[in-house]
Formats: sequence, structure tokens, C-alpha cells
Amino acid sequence: MRFNERELVSLSRQPSERAAELGMRGPKKGDVVKKRLVKLVVNFLFYFRTDEEEPLGALLLEECRVEQEDDQAFSIIFLDEAERKYLFECDSQQQCLEWIECIVKASYEFMRKSLIFYRSEIQRMTGKDPLEQYGISDEARFQIGTIPSIQDT
Amino acid sequence: MTHDDKFKKYIISRWPGNLGEDLIRRVVMKIHGKVLSHYLSCCSPVDKAGYLYRKSERTGSYQKRWFILKGNLLFYQERPGDSSPLGVFVLEGCSVELCDSDEQFAFSVSFSGQGGGTYKLAAENQAAQESWIKALLSASHGFLAMLVRDLERQYKEVISETRGSVPSQQSPLDDKGLTQFLASQNYGPSLCMHGRGPAGRECQSCNAGQLLHVSLISRKSAAKRSPKLWTNKVIHERPVNESVPQIEEWSSGGELPLEDFCTLHELYGKDVKDLLAARQVNSEKDKDVEEEEAADSE
Repeated sequence: MRFNERELVSLSRQPSERAAELGMRGPKKGDVVKKRLVKLVVNFLFYFRTDEEEPLGALLLEECRVEQEDDQAFSIIFLDEAERKYLFECDSQQQCLEWIECIVKASYEFMRKSLIFYRSEIQRMTGKDPLEQYGISDEARFQIGTIPSIQDT
Repeated sequence: MTHDDKFKKYIISRWPGNLGEDLIRRVVMKIHGKVLSHYLSCCSPVDKAGYLYRKSERTGSYQKRWFILKGNLLFYQERPGDSSPLGVFVLEGCSVELCDSDEQFAFSVSFSGQGGGTYKLAAENQAAQESWIKALLSASHGFLAMLVRDLERQYKEVISETRGSVPSQQSPLDDKGLTQFLASQNYGPSLCMHGRGPAGRECQSCNAGQLLHVSLISRKSAAKRSPKLWTNKVIHERPVNESVPQIEEWSSGGELPLEDFCTLHELYGKDVKDLLAARQVNSEKDKDVEEEEAADSE
């Protein structure tokens, strides 16, 4: 799949929500744990060889499962396939839990749902729609429960 | 010279300039296309879809493509029914503007930052042009994060105002409101916490909605029984610069009272503010480092 590489690399260089050296193991059989600089920027998890400027890869943190593996490790699983399970080893349980939390909350879909919740609660309690001031009240993507049909506009 | 360096040198010698650099990135940086395709095609709704004309960087001509906006990603493919997209734009740090072009109803998506490019698109009519520009401008992760923070703040304000006028035990607000709501949505990232056991694992699968609750519980079980100790531990684990707000004692009923939930929200909010402040400092540091490195390489 083509993607705007330069912009994505540029994104990986920006200040991140969270970055640390973690042990990382890829999903393929025979993959071993390697030390990587792991960096969370928006809803992407970039991983670098330590001291390299260009990331080795970028994982999109949507539609994935985050599991705590044991005290200090967590894994991210895509498409529910074992062949797409990435393991990350942290230095402490606290670091591990913080990473898990950050990753889940970084997801665009998670943020969208939180927004819908707050919006409906505020509307319910005050009678006012808090999104009106932004001029985006009508946008399908912030409606509760409806799945908008794909429109040819 | 490492294997990668030799490889890069070969590529650049054969395809100098941008093409060589792009090739290196394509080979060296993995984008995990299948994961992106899955996100596009899974059950959560798309934000916008329609035909747009895309100016090819190579040929300069406009090609009609089916574009799909989902989250901060703009996918494109030949037709609506295609099984996987041809490509994707990650929409962070971009500006969207009307632009002059041979094509009518054209607009451009420009990226700032190192190596940022400009991509030209054209819609089929003015309404579509305006609608797409509006959608793309507000698609970024940063924008949504700002909205969420703002609404979260408003939500807490409304709760505390309501609480002021209503006795707490009659508060209609469920402190697990957010987590339950999120749990009721069927799609999205899910969290699985494992119980520790020698043989196999007991997996309590829960989705992102229960994340806050679960992570609070895991901290709680790590601490002693006394509620006061638990809340103190939570406070000290998080690097909060300002003075810690008072947390009322709570019964050991197992439920986290609304006030504590709100306070924890506030603590999270402070963390975000601290991160943003640190980001300012770091981005200045990064600039210094980049300038140093540029100077060194000359």
C-alpha cells in the first residue's frame, strides 16, 4: 500500500506522548526480543533501532487488542492473528501498565467514543450541545449509535 | 559499514535524489498495510467517502479515485467495492486549502515539517469541495484530542455543579458512566488483563471501555486494604507538580465514588498539561539537536 512516507517519517520525529527503550519481539516464528526505541505519536507506534533517525516501522493502533502478558510485558495483537502479535518488555510493572493505558487511549476510535459520551451527557444534563460552538454538531462521525451509510457526495 | 548502510548506498547510487530516498523508506520502513486495510474495512463507521480526482505526482494528470476518510487516515482506491486500498494519507500536521488548478473544484493538502509535500485533489462540485475541505481540516488526531479534553472539562464542571445542588447519594450520574458506555460500543481496541497463574492464563477480556476501571483495580489490589493508602499511592505514582487535591474517604464497597473518579480525571488532565509543557521544551531541544547534527555533518 502506498502511503505518504515523508510525512509519516516526519511524524515519527515529533515529540511523542510516550517514548522508551523497550524489548520488542516481532510476530513471526523465530523472532527474538530486540531492544528498540518505541515511540507513541498520535495513534501510531513507531519503533526505531536505538540511535537511528528513521523508524523501522509504524504500527497503527486501531482495531487491536492490548494484553498484559505478565508482570512487565504487554502485547499488541492485530486482526486476532497470532502472526500479528507484537510483544513489548518493560522495565517495571508500572511502566507496563502506563504503556497499555496510553496505547488504548491513543486510539482515534477510543477518543471518538469518549467524545460521543461526553457530548451526550452534557446535552442530557444541560440541554445544550457542546459541539455547536465548533460548528460540527451535524457531523455523522460524532453521532451516537448510528452507522452512517457511505455517501457519494 | 552496516548491511543497511551498504544497501542504502547502493540504492542512492542507482536512483539518486528523492526516488532513491523514497525507495529506501519503502523497503526499510514497514507500514503494515494489512493492519490499515483491516481498520478501513472493519465494522466501525467511516467518516466520509466519495469520488475525488487525485493529481498524480509522476504524470501530472488527475485520476479519479474513490476516497475514504476514517479517523486521521485518508484512503483511496479505484472503486468503492475494491477489497483493499491503493494508498493512504496520514493526515497529521496538514493544512487544506482551495487552490488554482486546471481542474475545477480543486484543493490541496499540504504538510509542514521536514520533507512535507503538497497533494492536489479535486472534487466533482462545489458542495463536495467544501464538504471535503471541512472534513479533512478536522480529521487530525490532535484536533479530536483537543475536543475530547474540552468536553471532558465541561462534563466535570457540569457534574460538580450538579453535585452542589443534589445530595450525593441521589446523584443521577454513574461514576462508571464512561466506562460502561465505552463497553457498550462493540468495536475498537480492547484490553485483556491476565490473572497470574502457573499453568495457562485466565483471561478476562474486556474492551477499552473498562480500561480505566481495570487499571484502577490493578493498582488497588497492589496496595494495602486501607482506602486512604490506595488513594495516596495513586497520587504518588503520577508525577503531579501541583498540590494534590483532597480526596474524601470512601467505603470499601468496591465502587469508586464519583469525586475520586473526577479527581483522577483531573490528575490525568494535569499529566496531559505537563506533557504538553514538556513537549514545548523538548521541541526546542530537538531543534537544537537537529541544528547541531546538521552542523556536524557538514
